[in-house]
Amino acid sequence: MDLSALALSMKLAGLTTAVLVVLGLPLASWLATTRFRGRFLVEAVVALPLVLPPTVLGFYLLVGLGPRTAPGGLFQAVLGHPFPFSFAGLLVASVLYSLPFAVQPFAGALAGVDRRYVEASHTLGVSRLGTFFKVTLPLAWPGVLAGAVLTFAHTLGEFGVVLMVGGNIPGQTRTMSIAIFDHVEALEYGAAHRTAGLLLLVSFAVLALVYGLQGLRGGRLLSWTGR
Amino acid sequence: MKPRRARACPNAPLLAGLAALVAVLLPTPAPAQGAAPRRISVAAAASVRPALEELARAFEAARPGVEVAISTGASGALFAQIQNGAPFDLFLSADREYPARIVEAGLAAPADERVYAHGKLVAWLPAGSPLDLERRGLAALADPAVRRIAIANPAVAPFGRATERALEAAGVLAAVKGKLVLGTSVGQAAQFATTGAADVAFLPLSLAAGEGNPLAGGRIVPVPEPLYPKLEQSGVVLARAREPALARDLLSFVTGAQGREILLRHGHGLP
Amino acid sequence: MDRALTFEIGRRFPGGPAVDARASIPLDGDPVTVLFGPSGAGKTTVLRALAGLDRPDGGRIAFGEEVWFDASTGRHLPPQARGAGLLFQDFALFPHLSVRANVGYGLHRQGAAERRARVEELAGRYGLGALLDRRPSQLSGGQRQRVALARALAPRPRLLLLDEPLSALDAPSREALRGELREQLERAGVPALVVTHDRTEALALGDRILVLVSGTIRQAGPVHEVFSAPADVEVARVVGTENVLPARLVRREEGLVAVRAGEAELLAIDPGGVEDEVYACIRAEEVVLEPDDGHASSARNRLRGAVLARREEGPLVRISVECGVRLVALVTRASAERLGLVPGARVAAAVKAPSVRVVPRRR
Repeated sequence: MDLSALALSMKLAGLTTAVLVVLGLPLASWLATTRFRGRFLVEAVVALPLVLPPTVLGFYLLVGLGPRTAPGGLFQAVLGHPFPFSFAGLLVASVLYSLPFAVQPFAGALAGVDRRYVEASHTLGVSRLGTFFKVTLPLAWPGVLAGAVLTFAHTLGEFGVVLMVGGNIPGQTRTMSIAIFDHVEALEYGAAHRTAGLLLLVSFAVLALVYGLQGLRGGRLLSWTGR
Repeated sequence: MKPRRARACPNAPLLAGLAALVAVLLPTPAPAQGAAPRRISVAAAASVRPALEELARAFEAARPGVEVAISTGASGALFAQIQNGAPFDLFLSADREYPARIVEAGLAAPADERVYAHGKLVAWLPAGSPLDLERRGLAALADPAVRRIAIANPAVAPFGRATERALEAAGVLAAVKGKLVLGTSVGQAAQFATTGAADVAFLPLSLAAGEGNPLAGGRIVPVPEPLYPKLEQSGVVLARAREPALARDLLSFVTGAQGREILLRHGHGLP
Repeated sequence: MDRALTFEIGRRFPGGPAVDARASIPLDGDPVTVLFGPSGAGKTTVLRALAGLDRPDGGRIAFGEEVWFDASTGRHLPPQARGAGLLFQDFALFPHLSVRANVGYGLHRQGAAERRARVEELAGRYGLGALLDRRPSQLSGGQRQRVALARALAPRPRLLLLDEPLSALDAPSREALRGELREQLERAGVPALVVTHDRTEALALGDRILVLVSGTIRQAGPVHEVFSAPADVEVARVVGTENVLPARLVRREEGLVAVRAGEAELLAIDPGGVEDEVYACIRAEEVVLEPDDGHASSARNRLRGAVLARREEGPLVRISVECGVRLVALVTRASAERLGLVPGARVAAAVKAPSVRVVPRRR
């Protein structure tokens, strides 16, 4: 019954995580290695969603990307529908809201890779990009994975931004967390219990799967960086 | 692990697990567009939700291949969403004002607005409550024993506004102002009451009299009608509807004979 | 063809010393040049600038005709384009790759068959055959050093830079591998620049030496010349070994070797791997001066002679003694007074066998 809400939540969490891995790794890499003096400003902006109430973010997104604004108009021209109340809009909002949950662990993991390995790779003739994929990323992998899992779990539970930006449209923007709220408002406590329980179960299963697979390699993770 | 040429690539089992996870995530029920089933999206005030669910099912039964998707909330909140382009086909408000403003804004044709019911305000109390509203009327709310009164937020819910007017007419608004707890909609106000967070809640009869919901078993005390302005409630077919014909059909259904019978049973007044 | 690696490297550090190192290292003659200096002298700065890892503030680096860096034109060739292999102090082997993958890492532009062949070739040369499928964490220090060397040499670099190649090893390994490393550098056929602060290492590994003190190169030349004839007091202090004596191996006995330096015969611990011609190195602090009477001492080397010259150096006195070979000793002023160490005075110089370091000498 709430399976469409579950599927929607999973899809949103999965796509948000994928987008943040693709966009977040270069940003994190830059943050981890740059000596630009304004870096702290960028870090503060990236960390904003940590302290910003989700409703504030949602509100400004609505205001900034609504169909009556210029960026909103562009959005609509490219995607064929306006930003609010659409899955694409939810995805944009989610990516922004979960940004620090991805970028901060990524940057920490990438910065933790000993610079010497990168330099050794350069002296052996491998380009910066090649070094990133052959040396930095494999060595930072546990931290990157942790960031991805955190992002996924965080997005699964998102409520405020989704409510503001997505409305409550079944099958399109009614995620699990919205569905629970909806049931409670409609005094359908039984359904609320079932939906909440399902979300809890699924989140737990996902986290257990990821940590369990990580643990299979167990000590191997330590031996990559240990002596 | 058997020795083999190590590759600069993490964890094959982990990658496989993640790939499986991604494969599970991607297939989603695609929103029904055009091809069967046909989908009509309704935004409705929380007060009409129980009735609307039955109405929707009856409508779907009469028209195979049609799916009615319902989103409820405070009328004001839904109105704001519609103003911002929310893709609804039909809007059933708890008043006439929001639909009127929608027509004014050019988001719907005047001919597409129709009154479907009028709202009945009641006070709801838990079964064992000592509060004697039946005999003492709204004045009893001023008692210190009454600590919290749940109402829907007047800023966005017509029933909330009606409650305020009723309290004012009864002369107790000033006395109870500090005790008011505002729910985002009548649904949340009801929730405050059922969980005991409030001693009494002002709700539409359509919610309070619902069967099998947590409010069942409580005491319902109607608010005298002269105390609040008549709550005419209308629905409007939106100009941006993707299924305008179906939306009009549904509105006609709601205001037609079968619809009225269902609405009556759920505690709505009829026009 | 007389190619040279010519550089002028200028670097300013906030609130610290400046580096302004200039030198020209011939690339076709002696294979190994040592960049020698105490910690903080700027050796790593120079090495990293040559490798392309850091960009100097000023100067110019040219490898033969090819300009790698020029502050005036803004040209700075990245490490990938220089073909300069670098051996890091702690080897920096990729922990997530096997030995085979480490060694073959720089061969990414070659086909798989070529790569495999080259890795096998290097594995044979450096004795890595049994280790190819292991991870760096499973190797000993000496094994890691060999892998690091193989990795750096695999892509056939034009220049090899080594940053304190033996300092990450424990003392016994260092002793054992010193000679081996020199051989490997000779056979590699690539000009090498070794950075070190260890005198014995400089002597064992280098043909030519550049002495770097406080950011500038004070002296350049063949190793033994610089060591025995430092250009100035600072170089002498840095170089530290006062007595570098050309000698010949006379015999071996019970873990010791006897070498003849000048007229004197010295006993030293046999370091292994020494052939006919050696240097006997003795630090001035380790020469003990005694009255020239016949009493025994535990020092195996006791040479009788006379004081040649004496020079005050603060609380210490530098005494040079002719005792079959010219030795320099450093003693306290009190001792010098007590023993009556003036030019012409008879004295015996005693040196314990472990204090005589014997190092192979080429040519």
